[in-house]
Amino acid sequence: MSHRRGSVFLVAPLLVLALFLVGCPKRPATMQAGVAPPPPTVTPPPTVTPPPTVTPPPTVTPPPTVTPPSTVTPPTSPTPPRVSDFTENPNLKDIHFDFDKYNIRPGDAKILDANASWLKSNAGNLVLIEGHCDERGTNEYNLALGERRAKSTMNYLVAQGVQASRITIISYGKERPLCPEHSEGCWSKNRRAHFLTKAQ
Amino acid sequence: MRPARSLSAVLAAALLVVLGGVLSSPPPVHPQTPDVWLNIIGQAKKINIAIPDFTLVSGTDSQGLAKQLPGVAGKDLTFSALFTVVSGVPALPANNPAALREAWANFATAGAHAGLQGLLTLQGDRAQVEMPLYDLISPEQPLIVSKKFEMPLTQARRLAHKAADEVIFRMFGEAGIADTKIAYVSSASGQKELYMMDYDGAGPTRLTSNQSINLSPSWSPDLRSIAFTSYMGRGYPYLYRLFPWENRQPQLLAGYLGINTSPAWSPDGRLLALTLSKDGNPEIYVLTLATGSLRRLTTFSGIDTEPTWSPTGREIAFVSERSGSAQVYVMDAEGANVRRLTHSGFNTQPRWSPKGDAIAFTSRQGNHDIWAVNTDGSTLRRLTAGPGSNESASWAPNGRHLVFQSNRLGSFQLFTMLADGSEQQQLSRSPGETTSASWSPRLP
Repeated sequence: MSHRRGSVFLVAPLLVLALFLVGCPKRPATMQAGVAPPPPTVTPPPTVTPPPTVTPPPTVTPPPTVTPPSTVTPPTSPTPPRVSDFTENPNLKDIHFDFDKYNIRPGDAKILDANASWLKSNAGNLVLIEGHCDERGTNEYNLALGERRAKSTMNYLVAQGVQASRITIISYGKERPLCPEHSEGCWSKNRRAHFLTKAQ
Repeated sequence: MRPARSLSAVLAAALLVVLGGVLSSPPPVHPQTPDVWLNIIGQAKKINIAIPDFTLVSGTDSQGLAKQLPGVAGKDLTFSALFTVVSGVPALPANNPAALREAWANFATAGAHAGLQGLLTLQGDRAQVEMPLYDLISPEQPLIVSKKFEMPLTQARRLAHKAADEVIFRMFGEAGIADTKIAYVSSASGQKELYMMDYDGAGPTRLTSNQSINLSPSWSPDLRSIAFTSYMGRGYPYLYRLFPWENRQPQLLAGYLGINTSPAWSPDGRLLALTLSKDGNPEIYVLTLATGSLRRLTTFSGIDTEPTWSPTGREIAFVSERSGSAQVYVMDAEGANVRRLTHSGFNTQPRWSPKGDAIAFTSRQGNHDIWAVNTDGSTLRRLTAGPGSNESASWAPNGRHLVFQSNRLGSFQLFTMLADGSEQQQLSRSPGETTSASWSPRLP
């Protein structure tokens, strides 16, 4: 049904015709006949000039509608520390993920074990786990995927005995790549969980 | 057979061509004909319309609007793919019916089916244009419609957009989409900030300057606000809305632990579907804006995200990895009756057409391309086929055009196309990357 592909107008043909009958009351004979006369021969007009370049006006438009602002009850959640309060910590190593996955790989589990040990013996520190993705995939989906990566990492640390209340997670999706190239060499580096800490 | 003698006859011919493609027998054209889905694109013959320079009736045209506005309206009608436009020709006489008649007759001889005149009045900071539209196929040159539009001088371009939209309404039964805006994300400043511009790329205006990451703008149906995700403030991805026409700070809509993303307005603007991970993993919720109350719609242990409402408000399409890879699903607005819509590949960014019949989405097969599928799962079709990645489609309010992002020429920039994938053309040419377009409803 290729002829129905794409965008369609839901138009009753008669409605459209009726508009023109209104506009052209003297032409009913053509319409009643239901015969399609050939369109007139079209000679390209002599002066087809491309539309002139338009300098846009500096538009600051007044509000299109005047509706009273709706009142939204602010969401109530425990407030996590400011992200900018966390700093890099050389004792905590990144882990990495397979494409589109958020499970912890066996080799990365060993890294997390070491991270968990450091966190348990440095109980005065809060930890922020960042979940990151490579550039493939769309923004919103990668925000969800980065969230899952951070959450898997958090769950592993909690299972190793790190208190959940010390852990905050954040997803950056594909918004903060570590490595800028468009290649698997970079993508595998960008699919990661990264750790920052903050003294309690 | 006599040649066509009126614009209505040409349109009738066009419609017959279209119907001829739909029906196997000669189409009945009579009052009892039921509604028929017509694909006017690529089927009907384009209407040739002449838009001479506008005639200045009074005032001083220091901006050159009399020449500028017909160019804008002409570009709008060309963009619609329904018209062939002649503009950039001298203005018609204002108060000389015989001369006007002769001028139109000359356009008709040159092939014009219709003529649009503009009578421009400039007074203080207001601009007004009266726009008689003539049928030039009939020798009587009957007036199809004459409408008057008025705007502040600073928004004079909208006069041309309004006129073009009215011409399309008169000839095709639904107004055009020229008087609309597109909100988007640009990294031109070094950070991802929100902007908006006219649908044709004019008048880019920056909307955020918080130097964090701003994502996923979505116009409210009443045009008053744009919902978006931002890392501003405490640094977490919270959901806000900003008020592009008002001197007012963004309003926090959802600041729960985890992600607060993927805003999607219900068609009546009272509800916002969104993705929250506050209960352990990304799930879809519906926020009632008036009360702040939240209802959870999905309960899968993996990722559910990217809701989009049907234009009736009765259904929501979304992305879920419940089958093992990201696919598009549809559920009713209460979260029940989930059905799977796509079956192969990796499919995200569903966007329900404002006409209700189709859902556009982004499919990854190496690169990304935009596809569409009917809401019953039939007629899967590919709208883009590279080069590069083509993502993040947003429908024009008439369901005939889509804006999307492509890196086919290097950095991501916005492009437009017709809903069948034809007429792809570049819209933005900005430094950095230009992404995540949201096409607004029509301005009032």
